[in-house]
Amino acid sequence: MAKTHTPNKDKKQKNTSQEELENQLKRTLADYQNLERRIEEERKLLSKLSAALLIEKLLPVLDNIENAQKHLSDQGLELVIKQFKETLQSEGVEEINAQGQEFDPRFHEAIDAQAGETDNKVARVVTKGYKIEDKVLRPAKVIVTKKVDNVNQEEQNMEVIENV
Amino acid sequence: MSKVIGIDLGTTNSVVAVVEGGKPKVIHSAEGRNIIPSVVDPTKHIVGDVAKRQQIVNPKTTIFSVKRLMGRKFKDPEVQKDTKWLPYEVKSGREGMAVVNVEGKDYTPQEISAMVLGKIKADAEAYLGEKVDKAVITVPAYFDDSQRQATKQAGEIAGLTVERIINEPTAAALAYGLDKSHGHTIAVYDLGGGTFDISILELGEGVFEVKATNGDTHLGGDDFDSKIVEYLADEFKKESGIDVKADRQALQRLRDAAEKAKIELSSATETEISIPYLTADNTGPKHLALKLSRAKLESIVGELVEKTLVPAKACLKDAKIDIKNIDEVVLVGGMTRMPLVIQKVQEFFGREPHKGLNPDEVVAIGAAVQGAVLTGEMKEMVLLDVTPLTLGLETLGGVSTPLITRNTTVPTSKSETFSTAADNQTSVEINVLQGERPMASDNKSLGRFILDGIPPAPRGMPQVEVTFDLDASGILHVKAKDKATGKEQSIKITGSTGLTDEEITRMTKEAEEHAKEDEERKGEIETRNHADSLIYQSEKALKDGGDKVPTEIRTEVEEKIKTLREIAPGGPIDEVKAKTEELSAALSKIGESMYKGQEAPTSEPTPDADGQTSDEQSNGQSQKANGDSASDKVEEGEVVKE
Repeated sequence: MAKTHTPNKDKKQKNTSQEELENQLKRTLADYQNLERRIEEERKLLSKLSAALLIEKLLPVLDNIENAQKHLSDQGLELVIKQFKETLQSEGVEEINAQGQEFDPRFHEAIDAQAGETDNKVARVVTKGYKIEDKVLRPAKVIVTKKVDNVNQEEQNMEVIENV
Repeated sequence: MSKVIGIDLGTTNSVVAVVEGGKPKVIHSAEGRNIIPSVVDPTKHIVGDVAKRQQIVNPKTTIFSVKRLMGRKFKDPEVQKDTKWLPYEVKSGREGMAVVNVEGKDYTPQEISAMVLGKIKADAEAYLGEKVDKAVITVPAYFDDSQRQATKQAGEIAGLTVERIINEPTAAALAYGLDKSHGHTIAVYDLGGGTFDISILELGEGVFEVKATNGDTHLGGDDFDSKIVEYLADEFKKESGIDVKADRQALQRLRDAAEKAKIELSSATETEISIPYLTADNTGPKHLALKLSRAKLESIVGELVEKTLVPAKACLKDAKIDIKNIDEVVLVGGMTRMPLVIQKVQEFFGREPHKGLNPDEVVAIGAAVQGAVLTGEMKEMVLLDVTPLTLGLETLGGVSTPLITRNTTVPTSKSETFSTAADNQTSVEINVLQGERPMASDNKSLGRFILDGIPPAPRGMPQVEVTFDLDASGILHVKAKDKATGKEQSIKITGSTGLTDEEITRMTKEAEEHAKEDEERKGEIETRNHADSLIYQSEKALKDGGDKVPTEIRTEVEEKIKTLREIAPGGPIDEVKAKTEELSAALSKIGESMYKGQEAPTSEPTPDADGQTSDEQSNGQSQKANGDSASDKVEEGEVVKE
């Protein structure tokens, strides 16, 4: 009896291990196909992104040139800034509209709040933000208004955050 | 067959990974980042970076660090401590559990975490292109049952079946494949953005047991940044006399610069910090410009690193394990990139820690590995090997022609068709080579064999298909087959990857060193081979053209053949090149003259597989043969040496 049982058992084991292998092969193939698709997508993304990465690094330089201009008010420098911005524009880079707008955390990063007549408006842009097509390269760093009666209370809370 | 994703649900940041093709990979968010801040505004339903950006304006509705409250009672001393500094309202909810109150509505920490998990789920689905409903989530080793239960609930609220909750240190050990060795004691040192954890694990029977954990819930990268900011502000004050600590905007710029400098000093030994127009007084604008060396940075933050060793000692004591018995040390958390941290950990444990994986991602990677093991996708980590050196064969002129290039994942197979180098050549020798150098003699010969019985034919006509098949265990099968007769010959080489590491390093280094001269030598041989095949081709064209070739052209071509033949084997290379071009020009005249004479192409097509020169021989006779799919596979110059 035992003898007749063993082959069956063997066969059963073989079947399961074969199933397992087949299963693994299918998964591997599926993974591979997905990978191929994604590599294509990522390749396209990368060609776009590589420009964006370089531009991102150049933005602080532009910030500082603009800062310098505020102090120097040089005509020549003004032209340099204009040229710089035109180059960015030709690459599809746009400045994020912030001043006076409703605060929108998708495009703006609040770094401070100040008293104002209305709530949640961008009072001042500290660092300009930029986007390329619809992707935010860098959010605009802004100071947001708070209605006067809220300020005192919020101020305290903000101090707390600073200490975190 | 849906995937199980692995999630590191962190106090400050969260990371998600998945196993694909047997390899764990971190999934990037919709914003293209690998880490998602664990920050949520439940009133506006915003999560991650976007929520974090509005934290200052909406401190009461922006919930962060909610992990600190997860599964804890409001009366818990830890919670009591945290409520003192958390800007949002924490209160006692159902059964005394800590909940957050946002604009009059209570949210459990589970609900808040579920919003982070929901974003992770959506990002993973977008990445994988399929539905994701199963996950493995990690928790700190010290989490008790209630905290684990709460984490599991968070997953369920987000629509994820939590297949398993695993400990963060265990996940880190799994990511490094440490479950494969037996009877190990592992120390996991985790220094993240806001917390420090040290755990001692013991592996037995394939199960990790946490022997002890310790740490500091308020020590991390942010403290390091603060120290650097303080230093920068002090230096600035010395220079300019202005205290910028009160100026929140200046402080923000200092903080950004401090973090950047800290990261740079992990790879460089010195960095320059420059913040133009940091502030201004009545004398004009003030800039910050200073050099910060790694040594200086280490003296600034040294005490913080020392501080981590206190819980480490306590942990060893709790685990009742002698430091000598620690077999492995694993580093987790972004701060462990700092050389000083690595050095201190190494000194403390007396052994080199595991690194190599991104310490920010290692926990998520381990969770993904666990997920794949649960689905049976991964029985164990299948480590696929790569071939460390290029495998190829010797072709005309002693050139090494690669078939399988280095770093190709095995098993792999590649075939290419070669031909003969001389008329009526009846056998070819296959010399199997390993190495990166372009010349055969500089590489290692793994074996050779001869395929004979090729029917006599003009050079370039026979087609010998050579197949290299490298299996998963590094055994190379080389087969050569004559397509005309079907005759084949093969060899099995077992030692193809049996090189020692030193040998591989040496061979790779040699290849780099000799790259330029090798390239020149190879180019020279190619030029000579090209000259040789052009001579052959010209002679054939003359023969095939017969009387149709005008006498003056015939004489010109014959003369040029003679000159080239004399210098081709050993003459100055530039001359060979020049003469080859001359002959090539003369040769095209044959075809030209024949077309001019309105002559029909020779009726009998003579296949000529010499691909590269086919442009020049537009005499029509070989066009048809070249179109034949079999013959255009044969590549110029790759003629097997007799």
